[in-house]
Amino acid sequence: MNRLVYISLLCVILLNGCREPFNPDIDPTDLSVLVVEGYLDTQGIPSELKLSYTRNIQPDDSFSPTYPEADVYLRSEAGAEYPLTNKGLGIFEFAYDIPEDENYRLYISTNEGKSYTSDLIKPILTPDIIEVGFEKNELGAEVYLTTKGDENADDFLWTYEETYAFRPKISSSYRYDEELDDVVIRKEDERTNLCYRGGVSPDLILETSSRFENQYVFRQSITQILQDEERLSVRYSILISQKALDKEASEFWEILRKNTNDLGSIFSPLPSNIRGNIRSDQDSSEPVIGHVSLGTVKQKRLFIDVREVIPWRAQEPDYFDCFIDQDTVLIDRYRQAFGTGSFVPVVSIVLEGAYDPIGYRGALRRCTDCTLRGTNIKPDFWED
Amino acid sequence: MKKILLLIFVICFFAEVNAQTKSPKLTGMYLGMSFERFAERVESETDFKFYFKEKDVENLQVNLQATDSDIKMILSQVFAKTDLTYSIDSSNRIWVSKTRKIQIDFPSDYFLVQERQDMQANAGDSLSAFDKNKRFVIGKSSDNPQSKTAVLSGVVTSIESGKPMNGAIVLEKVDYNQVSTDQNGKYQLTLAKGRHTIWVQNIGGFQEQRQIDLKGDGVLNMSIEETILSLDEVVVSSGALSNVNKLDMGVQSITIAEVKRLPAVMGEVDVLKGVLTMPGVNTVGEATSGFNVRGGAADQNLILLGNSTIFNPTHAFGFFSAFNADIVNGVELYKGSIPVNYGGRLSSVLQVDPNFGRSEKIGGSGGIGILTSRLSLDGPIGDKTNFMIGGRTTYSDWALNLLEDEADLNDSKITFYDINANIEHRFNDKNSLEFTAYLSQDDFRFDPDTTYSYQNLNFALSWKHFFNDELEGRFSAGSDSYQFGIIGQDNPLNSFDFGFDVNQLFLKADFEYRKNEKHIMTFGVHGIQYSLNPGSNKPYGSESIVIEKVLDPENAREISIYFGDEFTISDELSVSYGGRYMLYQLVGPMTVNQYVPDAPITEGNLIGQETYDKGSTVKTYSGPEFRFSARYTLDNKSSVKAGFNTMRQNIHLLSNTAAIAPTDSWKLSDTYLKPQTGGQASVGYYRSLAKNKLEFSTEVYYRYMANLLDYRSGANIILNENIEQDVLNSDGKAYGIEILLKKSTGLLKGSLAYTYSRSLMKTSDEPSVEKINNGDFYSSNFDQPHHLVLTANYELSKRVNTSLNLNYSTGRPITLPLSKFDYAGSERVYFSERNAYRIPDYFRIDWSINIEGSHKVKKLAHSSWSLGVYNLLGRSNPYSVYYTPVEGQLRGYQLSIFAQPIPFITYNFRF
Repeated sequence: MNRLVYISLLCVILLNGCREPFNPDIDPTDLSVLVVEGYLDTQGIPSELKLSYTRNIQPDDSFSPTYPEADVYLRSEAGAEYPLTNKGLGIFEFAYDIPEDENYRLYISTNEGKSYTSDLIKPILTPDIIEVGFEKNELGAEVYLTTKGDENADDFLWTYEETYAFRPKISSSYRYDEELDDVVIRKEDERTNLCYRGGVSPDLILETSSRFENQYVFRQSITQILQDEERLSVRYSILISQKALDKEASEFWEILRKNTNDLGSIFSPLPSNIRGNIRSDQDSSEPVIGHVSLGTVKQKRLFIDVREVIPWRAQEPDYFDCFIDQDTVLIDRYRQAFGTGSFVPVVSIVLEGAYDPIGYRGALRRCTDCTLRGTNIKPDFWED
Repeated sequence: MKKILLLIFVICFFAEVNAQTKSPKLTGMYLGMSFERFAERVESETDFKFYFKEKDVENLQVNLQATDSDIKMILSQVFAKTDLTYSIDSSNRIWVSKTRKIQIDFPSDYFLVQERQDMQANAGDSLSAFDKNKRFVIGKSSDNPQSKTAVLSGVVTSIESGKPMNGAIVLEKVDYNQVSTDQNGKYQLTLAKGRHTIWVQNIGGFQEQRQIDLKGDGVLNMSIEETILSLDEVVVSSGALSNVNKLDMGVQSITIAEVKRLPAVMGEVDVLKGVLTMPGVNTVGEATSGFNVRGGAADQNLILLGNSTIFNPTHAFGFFSAFNADIVNGVELYKGSIPVNYGGRLSSVLQVDPNFGRSEKIGGSGGIGILTSRLSLDGPIGDKTNFMIGGRTTYSDWALNLLEDEADLNDSKITFYDINANIEHRFNDKNSLEFTAYLSQDDFRFDPDTTYSYQNLNFALSWKHFFNDELEGRFSAGSDSYQFGIIGQDNPLNSFDFGFDVNQLFLKADFEYRKNEKHIMTFGVHGIQYSLNPGSNKPYGSESIVIEKVLDPENAREISIYFGDEFTISDELSVSYGGRYMLYQLVGPMTVNQYVPDAPITEGNLIGQETYDKGSTVKTYSGPEFRFSARYTLDNKSSVKAGFNTMRQNIHLLSNTAAIAPTDSWKLSDTYLKPQTGGQASVGYYRSLAKNKLEFSTEVYYRYMANLLDYRSGANIILNENIEQDVLNSDGKAYGIEILLKKSTGLLKGSLAYTYSRSLMKTSDEPSVEKINNGDFYSSNFDQPHHLVLTANYELSKRVNTSLNLNYSTGRPITLPLSKFDYAGSERVYFSERNAYRIPDYFRIDWSINIEGSHKVKKLAHSSWSLGVYNLLGRSNPYSVYYTPVEGQLRGYQLSIFAQPIPFITYNFRF
């Protein structure tokens, strides 16, 4: 009885007290929806159109993605056809220099016998990025971009890809060599004290240039790097892509942006259904996700070095409670201590007057090995 | 013969008070005998039984001769020159007492029968009037002799409190004419001239009868007892019996007695939960006291405690209603034809009548439950003033402390309290003053870092004045405010103090004018001054680096005038019609964004700002509202009614979640958020069945609404200074059928309510950034088509009754994350169309038993126990569904708040 009361109270007081998995019956037509993504370059630079399907939101170990096999081509209103090359895995390449003063439709016909047509697409030439820069502010460092719209290009979408160099909390130039049963100095390709990591950011930044005088978008904030974040602990690089969009595309990206920022919790806002500019020819009510645009993509890369933002002390949660062990591991215990690889020699202990170390003080590998979180191969574009 | 000395004034339960119209007649000679002997003889010849004190009658001699005489005539004669009086109850027991009548089923108090002209003057000599005459001659036959009918009117008051009784039934049983008294205790019946027996029935209480001879229009005022039986149940509101004859349609009342018979959550008697048993009233989840009436949003309900508007009628996140049942007299919900003296909300009016206390003695009542306790004190101060003060608080912390071992509960905290103070003062017959004050405060947190709080504070003063018999006025003024705050102390640097408040000052003048018996006119003027702080976020603590952000306050005024007339065209047909005109002005200081005309309101279309000075008018909206309803009586047992009304609403609740959260803020209509408007047409059929034991009613309605608020994807409604960019102007429609079968008498009482209703919305045709579901109609958040509520209460004995409550409804709609996909280099979630899916259906059974203590009047305190089980089946009814990433994968969970049977026990007392 008491227990029952307590459980009841628990439910009342802890809102998540009585939760159970929820697996609703979902209409199968809602589950596998065609997704079309592409911003096709109209000036001949190879660009990609990606076809895929939505997949179950629930984790499913046996899931292997399937991609539509399809014929895809672009046709101008005048009738000129530009077939896309199937590169496999749902990727289709488009590499044509097409006239920008015409309107086009994209046609997709899948091997399953379904076909899809886009609304009319008008190519928009994206103006150049005027400037990419950063500014130190009270929160850290803010990356910004300046551009200018024109009569064709009013709405803009910016996406970006970040890469940064970082160091582990504890730098070690040694490793334990099992064959020699000794600690050796790492070679250049084995180094673990400087790595690179990064990726495409899910952030979508949208702005309308006509809001501003002369359509001059001045220092649009792209991303904010918070003070002491690891991203700027050594050197940071950001590649910003600028795409001009028409009104409908801009709304599509806006919904995508807002839906990404929220996942229906109890008191979270209601998300919206997303569509795009692709329609099924057979069933107009069939949902298709994606807004295909034609135009040009402008990109600019920026590097920021830690020296430009000092003081900056990296505070990386992954490296909290990292320290060099006080105890020295003597030679006869190398295998025992370093053999598994999870403990790494860091500081050599050399007696006065001697040459060879009598042992090493070590640290956990996660504190010394940056390759656990990135790669030690310098990216091609990297400029030091 | 039993010579039983009985205590005076003790009476509790006589079985059903039968309405015996025919008492046995007496014939015989009773000469020179003592009263005791006389009584013995009468007892042997009839089935009357006498009860008296020997001392009282020891010198009384009876000397009379009767031929087929009524016992009452005879007794009047016997007691003519003594100070003795008597009462006859339904079991033909005759109670003889000195000076004061015994309260059995008869009033000890007086009633008046006079010509209406001198009603006021002769109010004092009622006792003798009663003694002299059993049959009251009403009206003058010289008045309007052509007419075959005459109008009987009057006021029914309570013996205990002397106050008018609302909802008492006045009934004539031969032709079954019946009517219920209004909130001033007034009633009016049109009857054939001649002799009648008039019954007065206080729902759940005693029945009272009067013999009249109706010669012309006249007045019969009656005092009846409020029930002694139910110790702390004061009967309320217009009763079921009258629904056939009432002019209003779509009005649901619930008495505190009925609410108390419902099984309670955590043992707390909750009037809002009672409201939810009515057809056409839904809620999106059990932990929200926000309710939806006929497909309207929760903010479209005007919730009035007396004259005060309550902005948040809940405690503890919605688990408890903010109304202390002890200080409430009754609840009336207008969902169909909303009386013309109410306005300002689109869906319904919930009128909660405050209790102003007893006038005969100071007493109190209270209750002790598992989580909450309440105490109230009421009574007279002098002859002319009575008061009631009450308070409630929770002490859940002890329970939380017991739970420390389990989980992190010691960091959770829920506290609340509320205080009511009501005072009524009668200067004289023509003037009275009422004052009500209400404060409710809530503080809660689910983790140690974030504390929520909210507060209602209301004051109202109301002066009632009778200009003459025909014109009555009520002048009210008051202040209503609501505020909430969130203090976040996640870390000292980011600690914040978020606040919102809304305040309104109101002035009302309401008049009721009875021109003749055919017209009851109401008219008046209402003014409201709003001032609203839409939100502020300030640093909390000295270390905080939160940047202060304060949205500009909003100020507005609203003036409405109204006129209505209840017109009785004939016995069969009555109509009520009226109109209301509302002028609303948003006033400066204010800065208003300017957007490209005829284009969607988006950040991109922002072209400038316009600044308004203090006091200047920013935006004016005005418009009429119409009210019309008609009743046609088909026969004595059934009627049809039809109604149409339109409404306007200037204040909106910004709520982007399905459930009403305490952190939802209110917003005044402005340049871009237009007043919500709507109309409702309804038709209903009402029938009494099984000799009035059962009441059947069904109503069909259709509503349309415009300028509703829905929100674009991912809208932000907190601290958004450009809220117009995130709301979508929407249209709504709702329709449904409600069926109610109700049994209000007998050992088994209860009701069965079934509602089929739909509530749909669509983004309006105005330019907007987004058309939800392609601009088609979609289910609103509270579209729950099927809704069934069964309540049953069975009286096992006078002291024990048991209740069952069954509740079923279709699950509410939700927008589900259906699947995920990669786009622009990231994983994105694909959502269904807005509200395309539903959470599982809701089903719950509650059971309770109420045990009364003994009913001895002289007991120090009367007590009762209420115990039962909420959610008897332990069904996990999902309250909400949400998705959360677990190890990088989104997983769906359904959340049930009461997933276990919840036992409760409450001890109530009254002294």
